[in-house]
Amino acid sequence: MLRNDSDSWGAAAKLFHWLMAGLIFAQIPLGIMAVSWRLSPTKIELFFWHKSTGMLILALLALRLLWRLANPTPALPADMPAWERAGARLSHFLLYVLMIALPVTGWIVNSASNIPFRIFFLIPLPAIVAPDKAAADFFALVHRGLFVVLALVLVAHIGAALRHHFVKRNTVLIRMLPWRTP
Amino acid sequence: MRKIAALLGLCSLLALAPRFATGADWKMDPAGSKLEFIATFEKAPAPGVFKEFDTSLRRFDPERPAGASLDVLVKVTSADMSNADVNKEIRGKDWFDYAGFPQAEFHSTDLRRTGTSRYLARGTLSLKGAKQPVDVPFAWTPSPGGAAMEGELVLKRGAFGIGLGEWAASDVIGADVRVKFKVKLRRAD
Repeated sequence: MLRNDSDSWGAAAKLFHWLMAGLIFAQIPLGIMAVSWRLSPTKIELFFWHKSTGMLILALLALRLLWRLANPTPALPADMPAWERAGARLSHFLLYVLMIALPVTGWIVNSASNIPFRIFFLIPLPAIVAPDKAAADFFALVHRGLFVVLALVLVAHIGAALRHHFVKRNTVLIRMLPWRTP
Repeated sequence: MRKIAALLGLCSLLALAPRFATGADWKMDPAGSKLEFIATFEKAPAPGVFKEFDTSLRRFDPERPAGASLDVLVKVTSADMSNADVNKEIRGKDWFDYAGFPQAEFHSTDLRRTGTSRYLARGTLSLKGAKQPVDVPFAWTPSPGGAAMEGELVLKRGAFGIGLGEWAASDVIGADVRVKFKVKLRRAD
């Protein structure tokens, strides 16, 4: 099934989840390597792929949000305590916010640094702020801070999924796996 | 008598002719002039500008450009790519090498007409210690009290050693650099 139903995620939602999970896990080493590499063509290449991937994530996220709004959201297990429900809701909300805020702050850094950039060599990225060295430095710091928050939320997200599967033995993890339906 | 008069008339015309062929001297008005260079950075245009340069055109007659000369001096150290980090980087030996080669020059004594208001100046560009033959095409637009020269050409940065070592490869920073100029001139005399 392409669409979600009240018990499980559809193929489209699973594709969004795993494709973006893969892209985000590629982004982390790309970003860390890009900032730490000495100035060289390699550093510029690392930034180029990090920035292109970031813009791809932002575009995919827009589609993913539309798809989510147009589909039912599978219900959480009935026996989940209120604090777990609140935690699930908060962490998912944060993941969406971070998937927007990280690319957007990166975009601001790129604009403020006045670096010409074409996404995957193809689409010229317009500047969203005027060139400003102080703004570039500030938003670079915000971008790194958001990455730390993302790392923490990802640990909680993955930890919770594993706990649902191995400790609580419910279908929360399984119903997001690409190759099976509960 | 008539024949003599006609001959004298012809002689005086011939005597005047070289004066027509000797065109005017022209000086640059820096306020209305711009020299840009557009590199590419990961296939996206990366524009820069040389804020200080000077152009002089001698004995240039738009009708008879032969015999004219064009001289351009560029203060390489006035390059601005509107990014503090990039501006710092291009000073170095791998790029423009401000310390070693603060000035670039173009000299041409071979100007020819290629169209109604189109010309070509064939000359030599000295940049970062390299001398290369370069053709500079330009359009000539007269204006009250002066004229404007406008043109565009493509240089290979490798021919001048701009971008050495690992930067010589052209996949990240492209091999071609577009140079665009608009020069406002006024008669020097």
